[in-house]
Order: sequence, then C-alpha cells, then structure tokens
Amino acid sequence: MKLKNILSIATIATLLAACGQHLTVPSDAKMEARLPKIYPDYTEVTIPANICPMNFIVQEGESEVRARFTFPGGEYIYGEEQKILIDETQWQEMLDSAKGQEIKVEVFAKVGGTWKGYQPFNFYVAEDSIDEYISYRAIQPSYVAYERLSINQRNLTNFEVKEIYNNMSVSNEKIGQCINCHSYKNYKTDNMLFHMRQGYGGTMLVTNGQLKKIDLKTDETLSAGVYPSWHPTHNYIAFSTNKTGQSFHTKDLNKIEVQDTESDLILYDVDKNEVSIISELDDELEVFPTWSPDGKKLYFCSAHFEYYNDSIEKSAEMIQRYDEVKYSLYSVDFDPDTKEFSNVEMVYDAASDSINQSVTLPRVSPDGRYILFAQAAFGCFHVWHADADIFMMDLQTKEVQKLDAVNSDRSESYPSWSSNGRWIMVDSRRDDGNYTRPYIAYFDKNGKAHKPFMLPQKDPNFYTFYLRSFNRPEFMIEPVTISPQEFATKAKEDAIPAKYADR
Amino acid sequence: MKNYLKYIYLLAFITVAYILLPVMNADYLYTIQDNNVFISGHTFMMDTVQHEGGWFAWVARYLTQFFYHPWLGSTILILFWVTIYWVSIWMFGIKDKWSFLALVIPAILLYHLLDYGYWIYYAKLPGLPFQPTLLVLSCLLFTGAVMLLTRRLKICWKWKGLIAVGLLGVILYGSNLLWPSSVWHYNYSFRHSIQTTFDKNFRHELRMYRALDEFRFDDVFQEMPTDQAEMPTNLMVLYKNIALMHTGQMDKMFETGNCGIKPELNDSLHIRTSQLGAPLIYYLFGQMNYSYRWAMENSVQYGLSFRGLKMMTRTAIFNKEFEVAAKYLTMLKTSTFHRKWALEHEAWMMNSISFYQSQEYLTIAPLLNESGNALDGDDGLCEQFLMDYFTDLDRANSQLLEDVTMCMSLWAKDYYAYCVHFYDYMQRHSHSPIPMLYQEGAILLGNADESPITLENFRFDDIVANKYNNFVQDYNQLQQQGIDEAEMGRRLKPLYGSTYWWYYYFYNDFNIY
Repeated sequence: MKLKNILSIATIATLLAACGQHLTVPSDAKMEARLPKIYPDYTEVTIPANICPMNFIVQEGESEVRARFTFPGGEYIYGEEQKILIDETQWQEMLDSAKGQEIKVEVFAKVGGTWKGYQPFNFYVAEDSIDEYISYRAIQPSYVAYERLSINQRNLTNFEVKEIYNNMSVSNEKIGQCINCHSYKNYKTDNMLFHMRQGYGGTMLVTNGQLKKIDLKTDETLSAGVYPSWHPTHNYIAFSTNKTGQSFHTKDLNKIEVQDTESDLILYDVDKNEVSIISELDDELEVFPTWSPDGKKLYFCSAHFEYYNDSIEKSAEMIQRYDEVKYSLYSVDFDPDTKEFSNVEMVYDAASDSINQSVTLPRVSPDGRYILFAQAAFGCFHVWHADADIFMMDLQTKEVQKLDAVNSDRSESYPSWSSNGRWIMVDSRRDDGNYTRPYIAYFDKNGKAHKPFMLPQKDPNFYTFYLRSFNRPEFMIEPVTISPQEFATKAKEDAIPAKYADR
Repeated sequence: MKNYLKYIYLLAFITVAYILLPVMNADYLYTIQDNNVFISGHTFMMDTVQHEGGWFAWVARYLTQFFYHPWLGSTILILFWVTIYWVSIWMFGIKDKWSFLALVIPAILLYHLLDYGYWIYYAKLPGLPFQPTLLVLSCLLFTGAVMLLTRRLKICWKWKGLIAVGLLGVILYGSNLLWPSSVWHYNYSFRHSIQTTFDKNFRHELRMYRALDEFRFDDVFQEMPTDQAEMPTNLMVLYKNIALMHTGQMDKMFETGNCGIKPELNDSLHIRTSQLGAPLIYYLFGQMNYSYRWAMENSVQYGLSFRGLKMMTRTAIFNKEFEVAAKYLTMLKTSTFHRKWALEHEAWMMNSISFYQSQEYLTIAPLLNESGNALDGDDGLCEQFLMDYFTDLDRANSQLLEDVTMCMSLWAKDYYAYCVHFYDYMQRHSHSPIPMLYQEGAILLGNADESPITLENFRFDDIVANKYNNFVQDYNQLQQQGIDEAEMGRRLKPLYGSTYWWYYYFYNDFNIY
C-alpha cells in the first residue's frame, strides 16, 4: 500500500473517531457549594416551552468546561472552551420532555488543572409558550447623533434576526432619517406602524396589510404622533404629541435627560384619516397613552407642571426644574362607537407627596387585570434613570407592587406583555448601565413575576461585542412580511396629510 | 538599460512613497489608525461585512491597524501598490519604456491617501488607506483572470464580456458597493484638502493630540510656532493651554500665545473641535460625562474607533462604571496593537490602588470638582462650554481648579467672574506672591469704569504696574493719531503681545468652531 493511501485511511479513521467522541463530565470533580458563575445569568429561571437554546458562558476556570443537562427523557453534555452551545434539535427534545418540569444543569470547570463542580441549577420549563417574535430598534446609546438605525425582528424559537426597515436605505449625505415607535395592533403585523423623522418624515402605517405614509402633524397639534397605541377593536390609534428636548448631566451617571416642555394626547381615526384632540390641558404634560384590552379605557400618564418664569424659554426653565416633573397614572373612559372620552380618573397618584415618584410607559395585561409601568424619582425618560424599576398595579385591588424579581439596581423600563399574558419583557441596563438588553420573565397565574432571563443568543458572547441597545422590545405573534425595500420605496413618497377634526 | 527602466521607475516610486508616508506623515498615518477599529470575532465581522464596503472594509480595517507603526503599515500598503504595478504591466503587456504608466494608479492611490487632511475625522470609509487599493487590485486581478480564462477556453468576445460583467458584479456585491445607501459614504468632497495634509498646523495638531493622549505635556509646547508671523489654530492654543494647566503653568497662557485662528479649508468640510479632539479635551479637564458623550457621538456618526473606545474606557473607569469599561476593554484586548493599553487599564480597574497612584489619575483628579452636577449642553462647542463652565464655577477645591477658573475667566474676558475668583484667590493666598497674569488681569479690571476691584487693597509688582501704565500711554498715543485698532495691535504686539492687556484689546476674532 502506498504511503498516500495509508495516510488517507489514517485521516479518515481519525475523523470518524472524532465524530463519534462523546463528551463526559469529570467523575473526580471537587464540588463547590455555590452556583457557577455563568453569563448570561440563567440560573433558576423559568423559560417558555418554545424558546431557543439558552447558550451561556461559564465564567469559571480558564480552559475546559462541561455542562450536563438532565431532563425527564435523558441527558446531554456540552462544552466548548468556555461556552455551552446547545444543539437546537436536542434542546427542543429537552423542552418537549420537560414541559411543566425542570431541566437540571450541572456545570464543571477546569480551574488550575483541577476539575471543579458547582451546585446544580434548573431551567423551569413552563407549560406556556411565548409569542414567536419580538421586534426592537437597534440603536447605539447615543445622545444627539445617530447614523444607522434599524427596526429588527427576532424569532424567539431560534436565532433568526431580520431587518424590518433600516434608515440607510433612504438616507443620503444631506438627509438623515430617524426611525422609532414601532407598534402593532393586537400583536399582529397586518396593522402596524412606525415613525420616520427628519428625512422623508412621516408615519409608515400598515392597515389590513396595505402600506401608507401619513403626516400626522396638523396646524392644531404640537407635533406628529408619538408613543402610539392601537385600539384593540376599532381602527383608532392614540398618540401623544410632544415638544421634546435633551440636555446632559456634567457629573450624574444618568448622563442624559429627555424632557417634554409640552405634550398632549390625540386620537387618529385610521379610516377617516382624521386627527382629534383627546387632552390638551394647560399645565398638564399628558403622554404614554395605552388602551385597555376591551378598548373602553385609555390609560395615560400626566405631570402637572406650571411654568412661572416668563423671562426664559420654557425649555430652559424645564432644564432648571427637571427633577420637579413627576407623572401620575390616569385613565379616561372611551366609547369606541361615538369616539367620546369621558370621566378622567386618577389611577395611581405617583406624584403625590406620599409617593413622590414618576410613572411612565403603562401597559395593561391582555386579561385586563394588571397594569405594568416603569417608575423612578422624576421625569419621563426612564431608560436613562438608574433608579427606574418596573411596578405593577392590580386593577381589581388597586394595589401597587414593585416587581422585585424583575428589577435590578440599574434602569428597567419599557415593560410589555406577551399575547397570552404569561410573559413580560422589560428593557434593562443591569448588564453594564449603558446598553439596554431585553429581559423576559415568567408571570404565573397567581400574578407573580419570576426571575427574568436575557434574550438568548447563538453566541453567548454576543452582548459583550454588540454596541447597540435593544430599544422598545415588543412581542409579535407573526413576522412583518412587508419587505424593507417596500418600506423604503414608500418612504420616498410624499406623506398623506392627516385632517384635523374638532371634537 | 531599457530593460531596467521598469525597475528604476518602481524604485523611484517606492522612494517617493516612503518619503511622503512614514517619513513626512507618520503622525497622520498614526491618527488614521487611531480612528480605525478592528475587533477580532464574529460579531464585529458580521457587523462590518453587512455595511458598506463589506468584506473589503473588513480586510481594510484589519490592515489599517498596522499604521500603529507607520513604517510597517506603509510597507504593507506599498507592497500592494507594487503588486498593482506588476499586474498592470503583465495584463496590459506594457513595454519597458512605457512602464511608468503602470504607476499612474498607485500614484493616484497615494495622492488619494494624502488628500484626506481633516477628512480623516469625518470620512465614512472604513479602513480608508487600504479599501480603494484593495478594490483596484481586485478589479485588476479579476480582469487578468478573465483574460486567462478566455484565452484558454478560446471563447468569443461576447461571452468574455458577459463573464467580465458577471465577475465584476460579484466583486462589487462582495464589497457592498452596489448597495444604494453606500453611495453617499464615498461622496465627500476631498478636493484641495491635500494642502491640509502638508499644512504645518494640521500636523502640529496631530502631534499635540498624541502627546496629550500619552500625557507627554512638555512635548506639546514644542509644537507651538516660534515665529510670531505664524498663527496657531484655536485647537493648538487649547491643546497648549491644557499642557500648561497640567504642568502648573496655566498663568503663562497669554505669554505663550493665546490667539488662534480657524483653519481655512478650501472644500466643503466644516470642522468642529467636537470631532477633532473633544473627548480627550474634556477628559483632561475632568469632564468625564462630556468626554464619554463625544466619544460616543463620534463613534455613532463617523464610525467606531480605537480612539473612541479608549476614551470611553477611560471615562468609565473614572466614573467607576466598571462593567461597561470591561466591555470596551474586552474589545480592545482583541486588537493587535492596543492590547497592551487595554491590559494596563484593566489592571487599574482591578486594582484601584494602582489606579489612584497612576499619573493619569493624579493629573486629572484635582479637576474633579466635587460640587454639584449641572444639567447643560455644549451645542457642539467644546471650548465655549469649558470657558463658561469653569468661569461660572463657584467653588474651586484644589489649587489647579483655582487656576483654571481664574484663567478661564480671563480667556473668556468675563470681568465679574474674574473679580469673584480673584478675591477668593487673594483670600487664600494673601501671603504668597501673585502670579504676573493675575496681576495683569486685576490691574486691567481695577482701572476699568465701575470696576468691582479696589486696587488699593492689593500690592502689585512695580514692573507690572509700570508696564501697564506704559501700555495705556502707548495705546492712547496711537489712538490720538487716529490709527485703527488692527494697526494699533500690530504696532503694540512686539512690546505687549505677551500680556493679557494685548489679548484683551486686540484679539477679538474668537472664532470658536
């Protein structure tokens, strides 16, 4: 046999042997009486029955690691340098087998040439699944400048990410474009919208699958629509209108304040292309409208703020008194057939002397029982407020509780509910204080929120190298099917001006 | 002799390229490298290739790192140009005596690189020294491949054309140049800016920045013009004053020339200090949030850079935001040449004692005024913000901060703020000699109408008082002769150009950018 043939056979045999090699966990590991340090921290979290693999990094030791996953149907072992990368098919098998039960994870790491074992932890696999998609705006945590922005959709059952729209498709040297406020009706994408500002400005509105570009600014309103909320049963959208400014802290690590010097609420009738005022009270800053699931109540936040210094501009006074602005939670009844609003009610007087806080971004649970919101000491832009936490009000008992399981000592904001009400998602800066990441927590039938987990990524090191924030994460039950090119083509067209209708 | 012509031309080109690149423009190339970034790993690779320039951008970013050592980067780049030269000769069958024509493309690429000037801070062309070269070389190699292929397969010209177009499409697609949004990234006007690259002040600025970045303050002074006829830029003046501040000589700021100009550019570019150096300037003034802000803003708008990552890391460490500092350090540790810097700063983060003993901390710490936070904005005018901020500061809790508030008030020509700071200063230092500059400021103020300073309360040096009297006398004399202000300034400069009075009366073109 020629040497060449011998080498070929040896190579094939080596490859076959490598393929057939099974990982094992060390039997002689020295056990540590503590949980392993892993990133992201997935220890003892409850996960949906349809979530993608929860890959993680073991932050113990220097070279080799192992993780044994034990589930009702058997066990699998993984370990690749310091990463635990779970096979997608095997993961699905584990989830199917452990639904309503646990997957036990035992971690081992070679530290200084010696194997160490750590206290096992569990993935609790909920009976409840999660909406298949989320969408978010990928944006660097910048101040004034922006460049490439995209609204992305991520499939939660795997790792697929697609762009819904990116602003560079219409931006040019002279015209930049900011995009924001993606929003969906009843978690579906055949009725959705997002805003474009500056270049080719307007609201990209999809109604029954048809794409339009609307200019929501009228002579009678402060601005185009901001912070949208789709009415669940009728073709209406509530927005706020805002005059917004930004300023920067010289020392405070919150770094940025975003303030509204004025804000009101408007209702947009999609079928009639009409804008009307919901609320434009003097000395009130109304913002963040959100509908109850039956569409008969509109919740919103409002801060009472009186300007008393005529010698300077409102924006300058607002900067001087920025920490005096405190929003409380209100509701107003709504008759969808007549479009009449009546009976404004204080739901949670956060600004009162006894509470002395500021509530933003309320979201009602799909069953109408609870309302989530972000609360901090002042202001309306809690993503930059380290003290911001997620709170929940039981609308039956009016009891307000801080969701300790979900919060951290850094900013939590932008809460949202999955369509079945069993999962809540929040934007959190707990990782490093500057970049927001989506965290998902189980919300059980007893109204208890569980420890959240960071959105899993194929490469668990992804977040370390990713320099964008996940802004405004929203659940969707289906993907957006209109292509980025279709959005871009429509973006270049003139916007249809909305009409103003008196009430 | 004829057969050697192609070698002689090439040798001449290489010599010129070396002279123009590492010999004459080492700091320029280093800065280009500093404004570039390359991070090993999948996330960065995918993020780069899905943007304009695609794979070419990724490779170009990788190669641009080597300009950390300008001779090394230049050698790599020149090797690419030599390859272009030989491929052109081979492909087009250029005869020996015409072989200089094959140097046209490398020469254009060399010109192109030197042509950026201030655009190196603004051009959205990742890996800018290499990307055009890589594209040209790829197109040449592709054309050569088509020629070889068609020669072997003996196919007709129609098919050759189709293959050529197809392959060109693949290359352009690979580089993402067919993407419509990419076009404007290349659409910048860089005509005439080559003058900037050879502009002395531009090069002084580059060297001053690097010296400040490395805390070599004494080296900054060497970059200020010695010839009175040469005017420094405003940015050079600011850099010089920072160096004075950190060497305890801020009261020399007017003696050492405090009048700057805005560089005149013959193209469409509007330069701003916020892009040229604001993160470092704010950092050296102890303004961590604003330093971080501009490092972030510039990274967002003009692309992530080693420079930006390093500034964000430094400010995060000062602000004790260790997790985010660790994130940036992890990225920097993957780079070939900035790894050492990252490891040093990681050590500081892990061991606060070594950080508190570092030159960097000890230099900046006295400026970390512990008084309250302010909610403000700089409107992109870093210099103006610093003047206003320090002029308005009501409590200076270190000697350095005291000097800064005094000097900034004088720089901003703010009478009343200076008066307040001067009284504070005199209360604290009643038994110490008053620096010449502070005396000059006080005498000027004391003699002004409705002056808040009562001169009788202070004892000024005779030399200062006499010089001031002479200045007033000379000034009045020229004024009585009906000489205009500009001419008066010129005539009085030899005698009084180093005084605050001259600056106060004759420097009114404070063009902040």
